[in-house]
Amino acid sequence: MNPSLKFILAFIISLEISLKASLTTNLIVIVFALIYLLITRIRIKELILLIAVPFIAAFTIFATLFWFSPTPDAYYAWNLSTRVYVYTLTIACVTRNTTATDFARSLEQNLHLPSKFAYGVLAAINIIPRMKIAVKQIRAAAMMRGMYLSFWSPVLYFKSILVALNSADNLAQGMESHGYVEGQKRSTIVAIPLTKKYWLIFFTLLILVNISLFIFK
Amino acid sequence: MIEISDVTFSYEKEPLIHQLNMNIAPGFNLLIGPTGCGKSTLLKIIAGLYPKYAGKLTGGIDLHGQKAAMMFQNAAEQFTMTTPREEIVFALENLQIKAKDYDLHIKKAVEFTKIADLLDQKISTLSGGQQQRVALAVLIAMDVDVFLLDEPFASCDPNTRHFLIKKLASLAETGRTILLSDHVLDDYEQICDQLYQFEGKTVKELSANEKNKLFTQNKQFHARSYSFVLPTGTPVFELNKTQIRQNRLLLKQNKLKIYGKTTLITGSNGVGKTSLFKAMTKMIPYKGNFTYLDNEIAKIKYHKYLSQVAQIFQKASDQFLTVTVKDEIELSKKDRNHFFTDEKIDEWLDKLQLKQHLDQVVYSLSGGQQKKLQILLMLMTKHNVLLIDEPLSGLDHDSIELVLQLMQECQEKLHQTFLIISHQIDELAQFCDYRLVFADQQLKYVEE
Repeated sequence: MNPSLKFILAFIISLEISLKASLTTNLIVIVFALIYLLITRIRIKELILLIAVPFIAAFTIFATLFWFSPTPDAYYAWNLSTRVYVYTLTIACVTRNTTATDFARSLEQNLHLPSKFAYGVLAAINIIPRMKIAVKQIRAAAMMRGMYLSFWSPVLYFKSILVALNSADNLAQGMESHGYVEGQKRSTIVAIPLTKKYWLIFFTLLILVNISLFIFK
Repeated sequence: MIEISDVTFSYEKEPLIHQLNMNIAPGFNLLIGPTGCGKSTLLKIIAGLYPKYAGKLTGGIDLHGQKAAMMFQNAAEQFTMTTPREEIVFALENLQIKAKDYDLHIKKAVEFTKIADLLDQKISTLSGGQQQRVALAVLIAMDVDVFLLDEPFASCDPNTRHFLIKKLASLAETGRTILLSDHVLDDYEQICDQLYQFEGKTVKELSANEKNKLFTQNKQFHARSYSFVLPTGTPVFELNKTQIRQNRLLLKQNKLKIYGKTTLITGSNGVGKTSLFKAMTKMIPYKGNFTYLDNEIAKIKYHKYLSQVAQIFQKASDQFLTVTVKDEIELSKKDRNHFFTDEKIDEWLDKLQLKQHLDQVVYSLSGGQQKKLQILLMLMTKHNVLLIDEPLSGLDHDSIELVLQLMQECQEKLHQTFLIISHQIDELAQFCDYRLVFADQQLKYVEE
């Protein structure tokens, strides 16, 4: 599906589920999301991580509302803790098979957001792996100068921020040197399709979720 | 024609360029001058990046409606996207090129720079030389009128360099303007139409005579022959069935002993020279055995190992940990070897012309100044082994001599092991004892 549509769908579903309590809908969305992830052949390791990491949050919420609340409410506890999975799994569906570049292009082409915003988002995403390498290198560079930097060392963060600022400045200059002018029209070489089929899927899913929200408790 | 009239540019109070007047004609224009004189700055001014991003400017630059694009000294910092193909698409979209013309543009760029095999690889995993080729490819795809190239071959091997300069020359013949800065004069004699030299805050166009003189000097310098000896003694590193991978297999070494003193490591772009250093500093893993003084590198405690073996990175700014030049010196002073007394450090700061920059932020130094400072800082440490990645890139002739002199003095006193990656064999031949050639996934000592 189109990256922007996927994103908007996940956003609306998450928002609606936050406002209206329906445990059944939560479970349906979770099952559908899991099926989608499996169909698109997610790696088992990734799937386990996706389930295991939010479990801490979900469990905490459940424990608070069920065991430690003066008025324990099983339905409410289940409802809130499954929401955590609705959020994480729908977002996982959005990022599944969609690269950051596709997403940025879609924001620009389909949603007509300013290209500055689209590529800003992209730059922010692209900088993450670079920062990971940078942090590793900073620690090595420090050890080579007889300094041990722990993960809470101010020097490590100071230097990381410097690297990030420096990259941001270079990136702006780099974009401009490759012909980018803020606010100027750009052509489309790699088009991100937004077909009727995608709209159909979008509305079908949205209506189904809404029906479920209002029928089931 | 590019017209520069009465341009004065300053980052702080003191102007770096003062009342510059010059006209740059279409063709191949080469810009030379010592480290930190303002070559990169001038290119960025013409590219329209300065004073927008830094500094103050008076005077005018007129490109007469021509489109210009620039390639930065540090190619890695110039990319917005993750792969070369995406970056080219991004640039072409900026220029509002139609989708149907895309194939033509990318084909031209790929043929020009021979990057067909790199197109869909992640840029962050490419070698320094490959990144420079990709950066050039983007400019070729953009098909602009004015090419501003800031030391575009600093990390390229001699063959790639020769090939690209010839290609650029053919481009210059089609009426495009190429303005290129470089410290190495090889390959330009037959090709450059105009030679500009930075001198006293302004740029001078050299006459035919002056030009010839420079090129003859350069030739004489390279005419010196060199030879190496095969190493003997006790080895420092030992490889046994060692493999290093980065995207693909780079090294597959059955048995090799690496010895002390000074060894020059050469090899073409992307062959895996920097990755070898990364494996030797535990930044990336290796398979098989790789020992340092009979201890398996993977098993030695990281901080203990890095207190004996250190790397001088290809990109100087990666080495810095504090803000100003003075802070960096103070940090290195805390744990220094006995060669660098306070007087010695002062003497060398002066010689390397860094003394007047003591209060400056390290990141605002020029590329060459950063390199000089970086080498000084790392020579001050107590390491037994220094892995030095392209120490001469971005340095002018005088700076190279100084840096080599410093390394030599230091080694005479402390007997460290230097492993040096460089494409500048002529400059380093005198200084290095041994030479390792990296080719076909193998390292081998040679005598020539």
